[in-house]
Amino acid sequence: MTEPESDPYVEWIAHEARRPIVIDPAAVERVMAVIRAEPRPVRRGARWRWLFEPRPLSLSPFAGAAVAAGLIAIGALFALIRLDRGGLNSTGGSTTLAAVRPPLSDTVSVIKFVLVAPHAANVALVGDFNDWDAKATPMTRTPTGGTWSVAVQLRPGRHVYAFVVNGAYGTQWVADPSAPLAPEDGLGAPNSVVLVGGSAS
Amino acid sequence: MSDDAADVQRVLAGDVDAYAKLVDRYYDRCARFAIRMLGNRDDAEDALQATFLRAYRALGRYQERDRFSAWLYRILVNQCRSIAARRSHRERVFVREEALLLNAPDKRPAWTGEDEEFVQRVLNELDPLLREAFLLKYVEELSYEEMSSLTGAGISALKMRVKRACDKLRERWERIRDD
Repeated sequence: MTEPESDPYVEWIAHEARRPIVIDPAAVERVMAVIRAEPRPVRRGARWRWLFEPRPLSLSPFAGAAVAAGLIAIGALFALIRLDRGGLNSTGGSTTLAAVRPPLSDTVSVIKFVLVAPHAANVALVGDFNDWDAKATPMTRTPTGGTWSVAVQLRPGRHVYAFVVNGAYGTQWVADPSAPLAPEDGLGAPNSVVLVGGSAS
Repeated sequence: MSDDAADVQRVLAGDVDAYAKLVDRYYDRCARFAIRMLGNRDDAEDALQATFLRAYRALGRYQERDRFSAWLYRILVNQCRSIAARRSHRERVFVREEALLLNAPDKRPAWTGEDEEFVQRVLNELDPLLREAFLLKYVEELSYEEMSSLTGAGISALKMRVKRACDKLRERWERIRDD
């Protein structure tokens, strides 16, 4: 619990919301009245359990010898089939290529993020790469004034991000106007997507 | 074997009263989440009733390797989502008096009904997904891994929702302070 504690307002709301609730004592009984009208729950697979339960089995010496001979014959058959497949593999040779494909490179790329926000007091980059922490990646204003930028190291793959802009209108989440938008998640301001390529060499 | 697992075994063996122990053990905590999430008592009680009923019907599929509380919470979160979705077709309900009636006058100082009512109203104003993430993280005090398991959302998305919920709550406070 770091974030609300660092913010007294949010922590106060969380603290109030954690207070216990007075429950109508009859509420549990109302639930149980519905439950008692239900059929009894049955453990999954109970109907088939007899198939898998261990049970004693008795065989005459003759029947036992016949079963043993049958099992040996089945084992020998499988061994022959495997030998036959091994012979084919030794001539085919190409099926193992997929297993030795080199892994994708895990190196990072440096990506520069830029936002034009001349009236902002400060701007931060948030995304899945910094746990959406607005304190983790502050952007710096360029000497000419209205442009904010930051360069971050990203691993290959798809990253979702946004800018947190503090200005005269409070804190606003802003998508990158120069990047594709992430699918809307119903949370208001959309996010942007950056694809970082990986080398396959 | 935990109390929960032992009670589940007893229910499956035919002892329905053992289920009353499970309901009794978890009703208060589930009720707090449902009321905070849905904002009124009637919807919360519907969600709780449906949650415990679904859990009972599915008890045969409950795997003992899972914690019963986490399994139950997963059902509760889904029920709250369903009820909130159904409710979105109705007029939104704000029940001022409910929050006063529902909350315990515990011994901690500086509590007033006005504060409680205000907090519920502020929570109601959050988008449901943000409210859900905030409540699971800071009211139910779950880890992001647990939240991910309950909601089906990725950890990164959940962190983003919690962050946005905190931002929105903070903005709300700052607006009030500045007025």
